[in-house]
Amino acid sequence: MTSSPCSSIRGFAAPGGSDIQFSKLPWLVLTPALVFVFVGVFAPFLMTHDPAAQDYTAILKSPSLSHWLGTDYLGRDLWSRIVGGARTSLVAMAFVLVAALVIGVVIGSIAGYVGGLVETILISLIDIALALPSLVIALALMGVFLGENFDWLSDYWKMVLALTLAWWANYARMSRAVVIAELQQPYIEAARVMGASHLWVFARHILPHVLGLVVVYASADAGALVLAIATLSFLGLGVAPPTPEWGQMLVDGMSYIEEYPSLVVIPGLALTAVVVSFNLLGEAFALQKVPRVLKGRLLRRKRAARKEEDLARTKAESQA
Amino acid sequence: MRRLFLRRAGLALLLMLAATALTFALVTAAPGNVAALIAERAAGAGADGQMIARIADELGLNDPLPVRYARWLGDALTGDFGISLRTGKPISEEFAERIPVTATLLAGGGILALFYSLSIGLWGAASNGRTTDQLLHGIALVGASTPNFFVAALLVIIFAVGLGWVPSFGLYGWTSWILPCITIALFPGSVLARVVRVNLQEVMARPIATTGFAKGMSRGEVLLREALPNIAIPYITTLGAQFTLMIIGAIVVERVFGLNGIGAFFIEAIRFRDFVGMQAVLTLFVVFFVSVNLLVDLVAMLIDPRLRRARRV
Repeated sequence: MTSSPCSSIRGFAAPGGSDIQFSKLPWLVLTPALVFVFVGVFAPFLMTHDPAAQDYTAILKSPSLSHWLGTDYLGRDLWSRIVGGARTSLVAMAFVLVAALVIGVVIGSIAGYVGGLVETILISLIDIALALPSLVIALALMGVFLGENFDWLSDYWKMVLALTLAWWANYARMSRAVVIAELQQPYIEAARVMGASHLWVFARHILPHVLGLVVVYASADAGALVLAIATLSFLGLGVAPPTPEWGQMLVDGMSYIEEYPSLVVIPGLALTAVVVSFNLLGEAFALQKVPRVLKGRLLRRKRAARKEEDLARTKAESQA
Repeated sequence: MRRLFLRRAGLALLLMLAATALTFALVTAAPGNVAALIAERAAGAGADGQMIARIADELGLNDPLPVRYARWLGDALTGDFGISLRTGKPISEEFAERIPVTATLLAGGGILALFYSLSIGLWGAASNGRTTDQLLHGIALVGASTPNFFVAALLVIIFAVGLGWVPSFGLYGWTSWILPCITIALFPGSVLARVVRVNLQEVMARPIATTGFAKGMSRGEVLLREALPNIAIPYITTLGAQFTLMIIGAIVVERVFGLNGIGAFFIEAIRFRDFVGMQAVLTLFVVFFVSVNLLVDLVAMLIDPRLRRARRV
C-alpha cells in the first residue's frame, strides 16, 4: 500500500488508518478465535450434561440453574449441546483444513516446480475443481458418498472427506503461484549453481514462502469452513443427528420457531460469533497488523538458526 | 482484444466439457448399480435379476464410460437431460418450472446486494474513520459472517412470526419474495461493501484525489467522480464471484422458505440418490459459473484497456 504525502488531506487517513487499534491490541483480534478453540478442546469439562441424553421430564424448559440455556424438544441440555457443537465443528474444521492444506501445497508445489506436462495436467485439475463453488462440490460428493459403495464410512468422515476434496484447490492454486514467483528470484539460481539439489532448494528456500502465505490464508478460511460444516448439516447432509452440531440444532429448532425462537437463535448466535472471530482474524492478517507477533517469532527463530549455523561454521573452520 | 476474448471463451468451453465429464464419471460411478436402483423404484422389492439386466441393457449402462458420456453430452446439447429418478418427469420439464424461481431469487438478491453494498460502502468512505465508518464496517463484517440460514430464521422470527407482515413459507404473491431476497443479498452485499470501503480508502490516498480537492471539489464530489470509477475493476470482479456464490444462498433459502427452485431440486436429488438429476443440476451450475466468470472478464476488459493486453496466465 502506498500513501502519498498529502494522504491526510481533509481528514482522509491513509489506507487502514482507521483500524490502528488492531496493531496495538493483537490479542483483541486473536482472543475470540482462541475462546472457540478453548471451548472445543475442553468441551467435556464444560458440559453439564450428556449432550445426547434425552430427558422427557424436562422438555422445552426455559433457562434454569440445572439447564443454563434451557432444553430442546427432546429434553436435551442446550448449553451442553452448544459446547459439544463447538467441539464437533472445531475437530472437523481442523481435519479438513490440515488435509486440504497439505494436499493443496503438495499439488500446487509439484505443478509450480516441475512444470511442463505435469503442470498442465495439474492446472486443469485445479481449474475444474474451481469451476464450481466449494460447497456445491462438497454437496455433490456427499451425494456420491450416500451410495452403497461408501457404507464403510461414517457420516462424520464422509463429511470430512467431501469437504477436503472440495477445499484443496484454492490452496493448490496459491501454492503454485508462490512457487513460480520464488523460482524467478536470483538466489534460487545461485543456490542451484552452488550445487543444491532440487529437494533442498524446494524445502529450504521455497516451502517456507508457500507455507507463510497459505497458513495465513487458512486462518481466515477457518470461518468459511465452520460455516460450510454447519450448512451441510443444516441441509441434512452433514453430521448425523445424535452428534451435537450447530447447523443441525438450528434446523431442528425451526419447527419450534413460533413458540421457542431461542432454540434457533442460540446456535445461530454461536455460529455467527465464531465466524465473525475468524473473519476478524483474517482481516487483521490481510491488513498486516497481527502477523508482527508471529513474524517476530519467526524472525527470532531464523536468527537463532543463523547463529547456530555461524557457530557450526566457525567451529568447522577452526578445526580445519 | 477480440482474439484474447475468443481464446478465453474457448478455454471456458473446454473447462465446461472437462468439468461435466468429471462430474459424470463421479456421479455415475457412485451409486453402484443404477439399473438395480431404477428397478427397485419401479417394481419395489419385486425387482429380479432379469429385470435389472434388461434395464441396464436398455439404458446402455454396460457401455464403457466415454461412450456413455458422449451419448449424454449429445442429448444434453439438445436440451434432453434424461428423466429424473426421483420424480419420474423429464428433467427439462423440471428445469422449465424451477429455473424461473431461482432466477428471480438471484436477480432480486443481486440487485439488493448492489444497492446495499454501494450505499454502505460509500457512506462509510464518506465518513472516513469516524464512528459511523467504524459502525458500518462492523455491520458489514457481521453481515459477511452470519450464516444465511440464520439470517433467514431471524427474518422469519421478526417479520413473519412477530409482525406477521409477510408469509414465512411458500409462494403467496410478491411479498413472499421479500425475505428470501434479503436473505441471499446480505452476505454478498456485505462482502462487496467491504471491497468498496477498502478500495475507496486506497484511491482517496492517491494523487488523483488530492488533485480533485485542489480543484476545489467537495469530498462527496471527489468520492463519486474521481474515486468511484477507479474501484470499478475490483468491484466487478468481486461482484461476479459473489453472484455465483449466491447459488449456495439460493440452495439454503429455497429450503428454508419452501420454494421449488433448482437448489431444492438439487438437495432432493442428492438425498434420493437421483444421479441423473444431480448430473443435470451440476451441469447447469458449471455453465452458469463459467459463463458469469467469462462475462466478468469481458466487462473488465471493456472497462480497463490495460487488461486487454494479453497476459501469460
